[in-house]
Amino acid sequence: MTHSELDQCTYQAHGNYESSYKHVGQPYVRKDALEKVTGQARYAFDLEMPGMLYAKTLHSPHARAKIVRIDKSKAEALLGVKAVVCGEDCDTRVGLYMQDKLAIATCETRYQGEVVAAVAATTEAIAERAVSLIEVEYEVLEPVRNLDDALAAKILVHENIAEIKHVEGVFFPQPESNIASLNRSLKGDPDAGFADADLVLENKFTLPAVAHVPLETHVAIVAADPFTDRIRIWSSAQSPFALRQLMAWSFNVKESDIEVHVPYVGGAFGGKAGIHLEPLIAILSRASGGAPVKLRMTREQEFNYLPTRAGMRGKIKTGVKKDGTIVASDIVYDWDSGAYADYGVNVGKTAVYGGLGPYDIDNAAIVSNTVYTNKVFSTAYRGFGHLETLWTVERQMDILSQKLGIDPYEFRMKNILRPGATTISGELVTESTGSPSDCLSAVVKEIGWTGRKSEEDRKREWKTGKIRGKGFAMIQKAPAMPPSTATAVILQMAGDGHIKMMIGAIDYGQGALTAMAQIVAQELDIPMEMVEVVTETNTQTNPYDWNTVASKYTFMGGNATIQACGKMLDQMKDIAGQALHCAPEFLTHGGGYIYNVHRPDRRVAYKDMSLGYAYPDGNGIGGPLIAHGICMADGLTNLDPKTGAGSPALAWTFGAHAVDIEVDVESGNITVLKVASAFDIGQVINERMVYGQVVGGVMQGIGSAILEGYKFSPDNVLMNPSFTDNKIPTMKDMPVEVVPIYIENPQLNGPYGARGVAEHTMISIPSAIGNALYDALGINYYHLPLTPENVALGIISGEKDIY
Amino acid sequence: MLSQFDYVKPLVLDEALDVLSRDTDTYILAGGTDLLIMLRHELINARHILDIKAIPELKVFSYVEGKGLEIGANVVVNKLIESEVVRDNYKALHDAASCLASYQLRNRATLVGNICNASPGADLPPALLIYNATVKIASKDGVRTVPLKEFFTGVKKTQLTKHELVVSVFLPEPGQDDDSCYLRQTRLKGHDLSTVGVACRIDKNGKACIGINAVAITPLRLTALEDELNAKGITEESILWAADEIKNHIRPISDVRSSKEYRLHMAGVLFKRCMMQLMDKEA
Repeated sequence: MTHSELDQCTYQAHGNYESSYKHVGQPYVRKDALEKVTGQARYAFDLEMPGMLYAKTLHSPHARAKIVRIDKSKAEALLGVKAVVCGEDCDTRVGLYMQDKLAIATCETRYQGEVVAAVAATTEAIAERAVSLIEVEYEVLEPVRNLDDALAAKILVHENIAEIKHVEGVFFPQPESNIASLNRSLKGDPDAGFADADLVLENKFTLPAVAHVPLETHVAIVAADPFTDRIRIWSSAQSPFALRQLMAWSFNVKESDIEVHVPYVGGAFGGKAGIHLEPLIAILSRASGGAPVKLRMTREQEFNYLPTRAGMRGKIKTGVKKDGTIVASDIVYDWDSGAYADYGVNVGKTAVYGGLGPYDIDNAAIVSNTVYTNKVFSTAYRGFGHLETLWTVERQMDILSQKLGIDPYEFRMKNILRPGATTISGELVTESTGSPSDCLSAVVKEIGWTGRKSEEDRKREWKTGKIRGKGFAMIQKAPAMPPSTATAVILQMAGDGHIKMMIGAIDYGQGALTAMAQIVAQELDIPMEMVEVVTETNTQTNPYDWNTVASKYTFMGGNATIQACGKMLDQMKDIAGQALHCAPEFLTHGGGYIYNVHRPDRRVAYKDMSLGYAYPDGNGIGGPLIAHGICMADGLTNLDPKTGAGSPALAWTFGAHAVDIEVDVESGNITVLKVASAFDIGQVINERMVYGQVVGGVMQGIGSAILEGYKFSPDNVLMNPSFTDNKIPTMKDMPVEVVPIYIENPQLNGPYGARGVAEHTMISIPSAIGNALYDALGINYYHLPLTPENVALGIISGEKDIY
Repeated sequence: MLSQFDYVKPLVLDEALDVLSRDTDTYILAGGTDLLIMLRHELINARHILDIKAIPELKVFSYVEGKGLEIGANVVVNKLIESEVVRDNYKALHDAASCLASYQLRNRATLVGNICNASPGADLPPALLIYNATVKIASKDGVRTVPLKEFFTGVKKTQLTKHELVVSVFLPEPGQDDDSCYLRQTRLKGHDLSTVGVACRIDKNGKACIGINAVAITPLRLTALEDELNAKGITEESILWAADEIKNHIRPISDVRSSKEYRLHMAGVLFKRCMMQLMDKEA
């Protein structure tokens, strides 16, 4: 397909999608649906074990304090208490990319909510009572409150930043500062570009930290044998293999000593990637003689103790010519990552190649600082920084078009990435990279964009008390992963011809189990009912997968599955060739049989080969059918530390949202009437599940746009630590209409041409709503969320720029 | 939850009053939607929990034409929503009940609990205040009745002593040609506490009554503003005047839910919208 423009744009809306494949692209109901809706699915939260103990934790009430004294004696004396641990009982360091965290705070606490002690007891109630009996004396210290405090570096969150063990050459902690990593990228000569510009516009955009809010809170059970290195874990985790590796690093034991089981997971959104509760529970289990210990988080602990999406400030300077050509861009992203780096530094790093927007700009520079403050720390969150960076870029694009007097659609189309252009990292855009312009054209057409409202239109509508506005914004995201990321799958055929498949990834809602089953059904040409993807993933039996993150599993798992199916077909052809006295090259497959292409009646059923083929005289050949497939990321490289040049992206998924909103000019309430969302996903694997991703992502994006955000007191104590004041959207906040649009320009190395689409659906919803708000009101808002209060007070102020 | 308590569920009111007279640190459980949060967040240390759900006298929900409506302490909020009497005679209460929390919570939460919890932002009090609700309070020493307006004494404080419980709330008959409504601002369209909520009533004599929440230490009835407005007569002009004037009658604070500025602004907007809605219906 060529890159079509607005008037030639073609797309398939929900319900009208037609796939050219028998199984791939078909709207199958999720494989796990029945088990989940009938309540039979087992989650880590449900698990109970013989001899199991229950843990509870004590949290610091202060953002930054010295721990002067801890007295555990009263807690230890309580009947039923098996262990009480605090920082001085262990020195277990924890970290993904930087080992900057202790499993339990020792000497100093770095955020309100950090764990300072924990108890294991025979019941949760006893553990809770024991926690209340632990006495802690603090010396309260002045906290590093925000980005400005942090960058001033008068107080250091980590005194020893230069000594923190980290992934070298990828992350760059700055000595004597609060900068956990400074990453940069550079293309062309920005200074020369700005000198050539007719207009240079500088702006600052900000947004607060938000919570993931999975339905199932974090929970894990750990049994850690005090006499050997063996640690067994059952956890609500995204990535069993990454968890195994990180636990091994933390406890200085062999990876093979760690065993991780992950049953069904009740949502994660990035918040259960990496390692969280497991080290703390392992310490408790060892201290309790190796009994399995269960720790489950309350919703309040999710907000206070467990990581968030970082707050962010984007400072952007753009140089443009009068005709709308962007000649230079200079962006600084500062991430308020809280007390620890966790995944936050990788979000920061990703911004230097994903944070320019899908535009062809010859001269561009990005600096991204992941900054320590005394707040709850940050981690991965759906979008991995792109919602934040595109809040900066796509609002700036809109404001630039206002200043230039050019239609925002025309302005974007003039600068959009097209084949032949290069990204800021130097990747060449080709016909198979995906088309951002197809996506933009599709959504702009869908909402009936005819240009911005005039001031007269606004005045006329104002009198009715409600003003409509339309806006749109671009989306881009590629998986953020090490260049050598790998995954593997195993297929085994049972005696009845059914396939039992094992994967290393976790289906925590995204639909991997169903998508992989469809690919097996497609490749082997068998009914979907004959494929089962095993649902409890564990490191003992399942094949390796790096991490279930980055919206890359359909791509990588899909390729691995196609390969495995090919190997299984080869095995069957080999056996059938012997059975039918025929060379394998004359054999093909279909309908559960291997058959001779010239004599289709000469055939062998899969099931007759599944456990080995038996001749009529009873003699057997072949053997149980087992095949594996792998996918290794190909052609990726680390980035040059100075220029960010390299090949970071397995595949870019581009997209666009357009929204039609109505604003109540007195209350500031925004009603989202319509969202049109287009993604160039190459090939739909399951239309029903893509639609689910779109609607879910749009809703989560609306949360970031108009509602969500952590609020801190001047002492950096979280002021909205529960659902009472930390809200997420409800059914009533859903847009009136969501129109998904699937663009299918195939990715040459993707399964059937497919690219990932999961996180993407959330990205840029805030940007599109911010742009629509300008269309409605003629006011530019620079800070999220666009709550009724912020919108209304902006209107009342009479200002045209609301920071 | 650290509280360790005994649990009593009497079948008659006298026994409940006995318990209250005996044990001063007793917490009353009706719907439990506020009590459980206080227990879970360790805001209280309860030694005794008195479950009043089985007491028949407290289930009263009776309307006597010409006199009014009595709502017992066990009546849950969804019952108000389903009641034709409430819908036809006390519209603001119907509106307020309909937006309180979520459907599931309204199946448990009681009207009396909503006033006893005495949150400044509670949804039901503005609607009750404009109907001159009275509160029937019982103890071992007898029964007393106080106007709801005097019942609230501060944030989460009422004039109820530890030995007393609220038996019911009484709403006098409004009569013909009486109309009211309740509007509130929230942070999202789904289930939320109110940022500001305003109840307005125009009674059979054409006089306006105004109740409001989340703008002072207790829910308020704005009688001084009512007097000024009623003296001017209710017109579009006087409503706009009062919508601007309302800010001089309330003392909101800035908190995690809203700034003072936005509460002042929305008090005027919601008041205006309530009154215009009533005027439009009349016309």
